[in-house]
Amino acid sequence: MAVDTKERPTATQNPNATAEQESRFQPYRIRTGMFAWMMHRLTGVGLVVYLIIHIWGLKSLSDPETFNALIAKYHSPIFKVGEFALLVAVAYHAMNGLRIVLIDFLGWSPKQKKLFWTLGAVTAVIIAVGGWPSIYALGEWLLGPGSMPTLFL
Amino acid sequence: MAQTNALNWFLHRITGTFLIFMLITHFWVQHYDHQAASVTHEVVTEKNEMPDYPDEAKEGVRARFGPDAEVTPYQVVMQRLADPVYAVLWKGFNILFLIVALHHGFYGLNNVMTDYIRDPMGRLIARTLSWTVALGLLIIGLYSVITAGW
Repeated sequence: MAVDTKERPTATQNPNATAEQESRFQPYRIRTGMFAWMMHRLTGVGLVVYLIIHIWGLKSLSDPETFNALIAKYHSPIFKVGEFALLVAVAYHAMNGLRIVLIDFLGWSPKQKKLFWTLGAVTAVIIAVGGWPSIYALGEWLLGPGSMPTLFL
Repeated sequence: MAQTNALNWFLHRITGTFLIFMLITHFWVQHYDHQAASVTHEVVTEKNEMPDYPDEAKEGVRARFGPDAEVTPYQVVMQRLADPVYAVLWKGFNILFLIVALHHGFYGLNNVMTDYIRDPMGRLIARTLSWTVALGLLIIGLYSVITAGW
């Protein structure tokens, strides 16, 4: 598949450009698909880091005291922010991954833009609905009890 | 080698699809289900302070561990993992989930590393190190899940 790259000046036009061309990374023109791919990598690596910490934390299941202390820590404000960030990363990675699988297995389609934006909307809904408890918890903590609408909790 | 990579490429897509459904179940059980969620929507700020649980969770824990049982995060999780019959289902789910997530995560990580590490020796080192970490995590995870509630 052809990759869209930025035009490079020829060596004769600009002698200083040669050093830049020896760089490992070719300057890409970032469009929607490329941005989606970059975010998929970024969230993917982030999720692996989270997975390592998460499984490491499971060791505490062998001791009730340690486990309770760990879960209490997960209820602190900073972890509620992290919880929301985790959901954003998971929702994005899952829906973009689903798009990749659909294209890989069902083939390229002229309707791929439609698929992209449909799954984008689904991702937004997942983040809004699934992330509401975290936002609610942070709101209650910041603005005082009873200040947030309960909605579907 | 070439065949292994084709198989892993295929498995990456299968595990990814599986993970969508497993993660929905996992997130639902851990965060949203009123009886089983050990992480509720409560912010706790004081040290040693425990989150408060919905009535469904309190009833569930007391039905399982006796009327005087304390309703702590550990007890809420143990509703599922300490039950002799029901636990097999959840432990089985968690073990499958662990294997699928580790394969997906570390195969993906190796894809990324192969893109940026060009030296064959460097690639070999990165691959060996990352899969060693994965194996270590598999052992820790299996041990934690299997022995939980014993």
